[in-house]
Amino acid sequence: MNKFQPLDAYRRGKGETYKLLPLKFTPLDDSKYVVTNMAGEYHILARDALHAFVQKQLNTDSADYDDLKAKHFLIDSDSDVAVDLLALKVRTKYQRLSNFTGLHLFVVTLRCEHSCPYCQVSRQNDGQTQFDMSPEIAAKVLSLVFRSPSPNIKIEFQGGEPLLNFDLIKFIVRRASDINQVERRDLAFVIATNLSVVTDDMLEFCREYSIHISTSLDGPADLHNKNRPRPGNDSYQRAIAGINRVRDALGRDSVSAVMTTTATSLTRVRDIIDEYVSDGFHGIFLRPLSPYGFAIKTKWYAAYDHDKWLDFYFEGLDYVIELNRKGWPFREFYAATILAKMLTPFQPGFVDLMSPAGIGIGALAYNYDGNVFASDESRMLAEMHDNTFLLGNVQTNTYEQIILSNSLLNPLEASFTESVPMCSDCAFEPFCGADPVYHHATQGDFVGRKPLSGFCNRNMAIFKGLISRMEADTTTRELFYQWASR
Amino acid sequence: MTANVEFAASAFALEAIKHAAYRFTDKLTIEIEPTDTRIACRLRLIEGKRHDDSLDNLVAQFRNEVLDQDLRIQLRRDTAPVRNLILSLAFSKTGLHE
Repeated sequence: MNKFQPLDAYRRGKGETYKLLPLKFTPLDDSKYVVTNMAGEYHILARDALHAFVQKQLNTDSADYDDLKAKHFLIDSDSDVAVDLLALKVRTKYQRLSNFTGLHLFVVTLRCEHSCPYCQVSRQNDGQTQFDMSPEIAAKVLSLVFRSPSPNIKIEFQGGEPLLNFDLIKFIVRRASDINQVERRDLAFVIATNLSVVTDDMLEFCREYSIHISTSLDGPADLHNKNRPRPGNDSYQRAIAGINRVRDALGRDSVSAVMTTTATSLTRVRDIIDEYVSDGFHGIFLRPLSPYGFAIKTKWYAAYDHDKWLDFYFEGLDYVIELNRKGWPFREFYAATILAKMLTPFQPGFVDLMSPAGIGIGALAYNYDGNVFASDESRMLAEMHDNTFLLGNVQTNTYEQIILSNSLLNPLEASFTESVPMCSDCAFEPFCGADPVYHHATQGDFVGRKPLSGFCNRNMAIFKGLISRMEADTTTRELFYQWASR
Repeated sequence: MTANVEFAASAFALEAIKHAAYRFTDKLTIEIEPTDTRIACRLRLIEGKRHDDSLDNLVAQFRNEVLDQDLRIQLRRDTAPVRNLILSLAFSKTGLHE
């Protein structure tokens, strides 16, 4: 007796029907559509096939049918396990919500010895110590930080230039470490610094407490120094020397760098990437300017439009892909973050690409004066005299008052992408996020009209660009899977 | 510049046309006038703005968008029960729902 049934037993009956599972669709180009399910798995369909599929007229023997079934876009008489699997994936996707705030940003001073025209935090001149956080306020902030139920607590020191108030950083790190003897969280520290004033004593302290360094590097010396003026015009030289000192003291991977795109950067993306490669970094985060602080006042933000930045971004992305093809492993981190959302059930927790929005839930920012803001961008907005996202002050408000503040709950509720016009039926919604601070800053509204939204247009273009590249080339697809799974 | 487009009220939901019109708010102002049998739309290019597409092209895009939006309404209606089932299964053990 044959151990297997005849082949016909596995063929679907003619005229068999299927049931649709929830999906969203958006045009990829003139003829093809991206469809996504509730967990964010995607498939590409021709327009005719999409309409046939939704009308339940798709040929059940077609390759599209098998793919759509495998990716949980439909159920039929063969199997309805997709419902349980989708529920599991949806739960995984939202798992971060129950952990609540993991990232806590301490603005230990607004002072800075740089005078960058694009500064988004409206720094103060070096020497004006009234813009330093005090130990009393820092202690109150710390007690708030550990009220978060998150098993992972990351404390990031921001400025101004935080190293100008290094004594306070030492106080906070030691105190947080003491508290954590009891709390037993996964506690990590990061200092966001331009490295201009770093000393050996500071690095010794960073080594002792495994503090990670995040620095700014805008590209080659001429570009970096133009973007980031300081006395002596030597910001680049100090940054590179600082990066090398950090690596010598703390280890090769203990320092990362971020860049900001200015109008001058737009024609230099290959130079910028080459700089990162020659400095031994494993990747780059190609970032546009944000509409906050001096970037608005000096009109640097308005110096280029989104289309120009997208040209810059995709030229850079293609160059990074080319480097990988030549055998040099290197990543573009924004693409990698999105690809993790596209190709895995896990959420990378990038604050700008979360829904419900990452404000408060993903990060909280504590200003030097004890004011608590829903995000780093929220406090940047406050420096422009807009306190819309001010949640309270650690000296006068309790944790409950701060977290349940209407300044947090109202924008969270209003901007939830599942209920926002256009986002709610957009195929890219599972990869995207709500950014009520950006939309408030640019349109005076937590939601904003998406056809006019730079955030929406930029991210839509990137989602389409990433998918198109994966569909066009299997080597790129394999590379993107590697980026997503790291 | 303006263009007039009509849809049969028996074939298209007014909601689909409103959703489609919203997507063009960066390029067009669209007036919608429904009657018992027809839904008339007057499309006008937003003035003082550079337009990469001609009005004819935008009209064609608008028609396709209405078709897509109509499909989305059908899809939402068909999948609402299973969508609620999946969400309730997903959050049943998290304590996040009441």
